[in-house]
Amino acid sequence: MADHTRPTAQLLDIPPRRANRLTSTRLGSAIVHDYWADLFSAKERGKKVVWYNGTYIPPFFHAHDLAWVHGEAWSAYLAARHVEGDAQLAGETRGYDRELCSYARTHIGQALLDMKDLKDGKLDPQSPKAIAISQLPLPDMIINAYPYCSSGQQWDEMIYRLFDKRVPIFHVNIPLLWGGRKDAAYLAGSEMAERKVYVAQQLREMAKFLEENTGRKYDWDRLSEVMGFIKKSAELRLEAMDMCTVTPSPASFFDWIVSIAHVNFMPGTQRLVDFFEAMKAEIAGRVIAGEGSVPDEKYRFFFDGMMNWNKVGWLAEKFAANNACVVAGRYTHMSFWQEPQAIDLSDPVPGMAHNYLACPNNSGAPYMIGEIDRLCDKFKIDGMVMHVSRTCRGMTNSQHLIAESARKHGRAALFFEGDVADESFYKDELLNTRLEAMIESLESRRAMVA
Amino acid sequence: MRAIIEVFSAVAADSVGYARRWKEETGRPVIGSFPMNFPVELAHAAGALPVIIQEVDEPITDGEGAVFSFYCGYNRSVVDQALKGRFKFFDGIMFTDHCVQILGTADVLRWHDPDLKILFNQLVASMDASWAVEEATNSLTQLRRELDELLGTTVTDEALASSIALLNRNRQLIRRLYTMREQGRLALSARELQHVVKSSMVMDREEHTRLMEQLVVACEADAPPERKGMPVYLSGHLCQAPELRLLDLVESTGAVVVGDDLYHGFRYISTDVPETGDPLDALAFWYFERNRKVPCPTRADGDADWDDFLVREVARTGAEGLIVLIAKFCEPHMYYFPEIAEACERNGIALLKLETEHDGMPLEAFKTRIETFVEVARRRKRTAALG
Repeated sequence: MADHTRPTAQLLDIPPRRANRLTSTRLGSAIVHDYWADLFSAKERGKKVVWYNGTYIPPFFHAHDLAWVHGEAWSAYLAARHVEGDAQLAGETRGYDRELCSYARTHIGQALLDMKDLKDGKLDPQSPKAIAISQLPLPDMIINAYPYCSSGQQWDEMIYRLFDKRVPIFHVNIPLLWGGRKDAAYLAGSEMAERKVYVAQQLREMAKFLEENTGRKYDWDRLSEVMGFIKKSAELRLEAMDMCTVTPSPASFFDWIVSIAHVNFMPGTQRLVDFFEAMKAEIAGRVIAGEGSVPDEKYRFFFDGMMNWNKVGWLAEKFAANNACVVAGRYTHMSFWQEPQAIDLSDPVPGMAHNYLACPNNSGAPYMIGEIDRLCDKFKIDGMVMHVSRTCRGMTNSQHLIAESARKHGRAALFFEGDVADESFYKDELLNTRLEAMIESLESRRAMVA
Repeated sequence: MRAIIEVFSAVAADSVGYARRWKEETGRPVIGSFPMNFPVELAHAAGALPVIIQEVDEPITDGEGAVFSFYCGYNRSVVDQALKGRFKFFDGIMFTDHCVQILGTADVLRWHDPDLKILFNQLVASMDASWAVEEATNSLTQLRRELDELLGTTVTDEALASSIALLNRNRQLIRRLYTMREQGRLALSARELQHVVKSSMVMDREEHTRLMEQLVVACEADAPPERKGMPVYLSGHLCQAPELRLLDLVESTGAVVVGDDLYHGFRYISTDVPETGDPLDALAFWYFERNRKVPCPTRADGDADWDDFLVREVARTGAEGLIVLIAKFCEPHMYYFPEIAEACERNGIALLKLETEHDGMPLEAFKTRIETFVEVARRRKRTAALG
């Protein structure tokens, strides 16, 4: 029986609130809310719907007046609201192994539920989880555009096959930048130049696919217009991130995490620019005031790995409670329009291809890790928090190497287990113990230096 | 015949040892390759020994700290071997595949041994894209260029055509054994047939082909075996060879293998490269054609259905059941298995799924499951016969 004499937070062993999160992110929440509301009513408004996975190609859809569903984002949406279970159970019931990407399992499970919907009528109306799940509109097109991760391609193939191959599918291949040639460098050299042309060609083919499946001519001027807002937003975001080199850091990785949707799949509009303007202004204000994201910042960490979407708030508080600010991360600080300068608005496609290739995982380990080390130096990082997301091989692949390099550079590193959208892999006690040990080790080092 | 199988068995059991000795004896380069789509003809034409890198049956030790336990046994084993220095004699490693786990493995190898040259040019995986053939040809052209640079060679079209012809002959000879097995005329076990295919991934191709010519003649002259069990079809195990003990178990527990789509089986030798026209175009054609012949879950092709293929194969080979061998943590296989299970259900095919692991194989449990599977399949057949 529940102990009603104790507050819920205490019952759940949640640490007291210490994280001083940015308030401007609330503006972002409204954008996200409106995006989902628009999406859920897309069919009613006569819009065609694209289900896609992989890199951030929504400007192509936005410019063509389509609605879009990012499979990963939908799975993260369900996980963040703790209502992913029904979709995952539907996948498991069909035989999908729980060692498969939990984003994929959730999304495929969603498709299975949709199909059940079609066949049997609505889901059990008594289930509150069904209310969230049943809102997603069915796809008119499927597009796969995954850098690096082969699992992503197979996931979309499954979606395509679940719908009996009736929904047209298009693949954009974004090849790994292995970096084996003599002129190889991070996002440079002949390999990058060739791949950029290849990806750009495919993106133009993708626009033709959209034309064929909507019967409307693609509006390239509109794409430039949308990309104008995206480019400006990306620049503002990067400028704001750069302000976090100060101590204490005015914003944390968790602020960037809750605004990841905005650079990933939110519509490119003035509203998006305004949001990042506001974020930047708040951060600038904090820099002047010396206000930190963690009030008594003693340690600065780098978060490596995919986000554990079930645990965003939980983790933010956990680190703050230990006076540790997670300042930057691979997912937030190396992905999503990291190279806005490459985008020429008069012909944005090659620059978009450049950015899609710039997914950090998509560069060979020596190059990616070189960038991580550079970021860690820039943000004065003491230690690495390596989230070993069990079902995401794309993000775990190089983690041993990243930790090894960090240690060579004098930084501590801890590993903790979890997952992107399957809470069952997360082990809180392990993180507690390892975090405590890392902090002790940092203290010892500081004592020795002193 | 047995002497040839012994040779093949020895090579298959110690592919790295064989390749090292070959290099010492010939003074020629050895090029390793990850599975499953690298056209070995390119390395062969450059005078090198192409070697498909194999999982080995030894515990993961040195590799434990370099790759997570939730990666497939093949990747963990390869990393472990590399960290033990087993690949240092390779002149290079080439690969073309996009499996996210293999990409990670390649990076671990490069990190720990920067002197080991790894050439990578990704083959397009969306097979029905309008630009796919051109892109595959471009990738192969680049690989050929990089291989020439690495080995200091200039591979001519004539040399490449000659390698294509040799490798075709090798595949054709192995396929003759497959045909004989389907017809019940082959006195080789599943274990022995794996020796044949696995050694063909490693051994000097001229020597292997010469021995294959003799083996085929001997097999054709041999008396047909007495069929001792329920015919089954083996599917799965994409990059790594199934453990021999497991194959033995299947064939000693009331079943006999009549067909397979294993990578260390028919998948590897299913398709020949055209011997006319530009040889790089021919290799690109081969890449697409083999996916049409034996669909692979790592490729995206709207017209290739692994489940339909298996239903047809089971019928064609007269198998009375399908055993799917799935390597734990093999993502493409995990994605496609539910479709295969449903296809079997729809078509009344008895299905057994066995999930294999690098560390520890529950053979006793597998034995019970295979026995039960054979019983169930037989009962189903009897019931069907009674109408």
